[in-house]
Amino acid sequence: MTIQECYAALEGDYQEVLGRLYSEALVTKFVGKFLADTSFQLLENSMRDKDYEVAFRAAHTLKGVSQNLSFTKLYHSSHQITEALRNKDIELAVRLFDQVAADYGQTRSAIEQYIQ
Amino acid sequence: MAPKREQRHTILVADDSEMNRAILRSMLEESYDIIEAEDGLQAVALLQQMEQEISLVLLDIVMPNMDGFDVLTAMNKYRWIDSIPVIMISAESTHSFIERAYDMGVTDYISRPFDMMVVHRRVINTIMLYAKQRRLAALVSEQIYQKEKINNLMISILSHIVEFRNEESGLHVLHIQTMTEILLKSLARKTDKYALDGETINLISNASTLHDVGKICIPSEILNKPGKFTPEEFAIMKGHSQMGADMMKEVPFQDEPLVKYAYEICRWHHERYDGRGYPDGLVGEEIPISAQVVSLADVYDALTSVRVYKPAHSHEKALSMILNGECGTFQPLLLECLVESSDIIQQEMAVAPVARNDQRAIENAAAELLQIEELSATDRTLHILEQERTIHRFFFSISTDMLFEYTKTPPVLTLSAICARRLDMEEITIDPYSSEHVQELMRSEQMSGLSKLLQNTDPDSPLMEYDCETRIDGELRPVHITFRAMWSSEEPPQYVGTIGIITENLREEEAR
Repeated sequence: MTIQECYAALEGDYQEVLGRLYSEALVTKFVGKFLADTSFQLLENSMRDKDYEVAFRAAHTLKGVSQNLSFTKLYHSSHQITEALRNKDIELAVRLFDQVAADYGQTRSAIEQYIQ
Repeated sequence: MAPKREQRHTILVADDSEMNRAILRSMLEESYDIIEAEDGLQAVALLQQMEQEISLVLLDIVMPNMDGFDVLTAMNKYRWIDSIPVIMISAESTHSFIERAYDMGVTDYISRPFDMMVVHRRVINTIMLYAKQRRLAALVSEQIYQKEKINNLMISILSHIVEFRNEESGLHVLHIQTMTEILLKSLARKTDKYALDGETINLISNASTLHDVGKICIPSEILNKPGKFTPEEFAIMKGHSQMGADMMKEVPFQDEPLVKYAYEICRWHHERYDGRGYPDGLVGEEIPISAQVVSLADVYDALTSVRVYKPAHSHEKALSMILNGECGTFQPLLLECLVESSDIIQQEMAVAPVARNDQRAIENAAAELLQIEELSATDRTLHILEQERTIHRFFFSISTDMLFEYTKTPPVLTLSAICARRLDMEEITIDPYSSEHVQELMRSEQMSGLSKLLQNTDPDSPLMEYDCETRIDGELRPVHITFRAMWSSEEPPQYVGTIGIITENLREEEAR
């Protein structure tokens, strides 16, 4: 699997990230690092524990990271849940979480395949 | 430029996401040293520890513990924001967030996703802008300092001319200036009735040097008559205040506050609070505060100086004579100022006037800079400088070591108290290379050996040692001098001075 195919599988924008980071090596390096980023786990745990302040910060971080890596799909769903949590619309946030979890899963498995 | 001395700037990246920090690090680490903080608390701690080294902060807003706004609040509180620029790197694009960040002093904003080229450009621009501002601030402060110095020099020359005719040393005028300043500062702390801000105090103190300028119209047989005045002679002498005032009315700079104060002082510095002075017999607050203060200073200095008809009285004696009303009546509040400033007056009068004037120039330059808001970065630097000076002075005064410091511009040699005593020198020597006293400290070949060694230091090896014989306690003794040359941080580095310590090499018989 090439890095382009990986981006296609996680529905991101490879040309865009390459345009900003200027080197395939850097893109590859940070895509690999994404697996170690714990903001999704933090979001998941804090949603379960109903600690919505921490959930907001975790969603915010996840949004920032996926935006920097041009993981377009994950960026959109994490952006939406961030706004819901910011506005304290818990009902909406809970509903949106499933989409974030699904997008995160899709992203993660694409990267895992790419690394192998 | 030698690459090893090329200064690498340090950037603090504060972001709670390890990934974001890593991205910024990889974008910037080729040209900059990067330190990281994973929340606001760490960022503030790092700023506190490394304030002087950090050239730029890249700051995220949403962070645990302290968020970005808390960090900005701390940076404002401790005035770090004046000299350390902040670029906001938050994923937050809400208008009100960004506006608030700008209001709190951030210089720029980099939106996500990060673009390598944009990050680079903004970082370079911001660092360069601040470096340029610092250079300009240094330039302005140098010019203000020069201006003050020349100003003081002109006043000094003028006062010496006046004093020269009076067959006095010129010290009187400088004493009046010093004393006027001390009394006004004390008065300003007690009341705001006279609206005495720093600039006004400075103007009145400068104008005070002209108080006796009218004496240049008094015939010198009368002016310098050794015995008592006849009533006619005394009447002529008294004319000096009116004549000084007339001169001030004739000069073409009538809109200048300095001239206005000089007029008041010349005319009314012999008035007394109870109306028994001259020439106009003004009473109480009819006498402008400038003239009230100068007349008190004048009386004090006359009492504590030698005159043909009397010896110098001690500070205590002078004070009690004034308080007993033996020299006329003064405003009670002003007398309070005199009593409360008693210690500082004694100290300041003992300082060599040239050194004092130089110090005044520095203080005035500092005060003037503080008023220029655009230069607030310098403001903080000056605070630090002021602290350094205090620490320095303190250690120099109590140290039992023989310490010295030499600055190249102005050429001044400063000795610790003990060092001055043992070398039989003043604590401050201006232009030491042309001072005979310094020449006598050691044999000339050793002196030139020492200065050759100094010239051979460079910023990378500033420490040097030298063994020679120096005149200590009146006799030549073997000593070991350890010194460190100081070089400026500009490019190319300039030699700015030397600090050092003199230790005695005990002779064999003394060591045993």
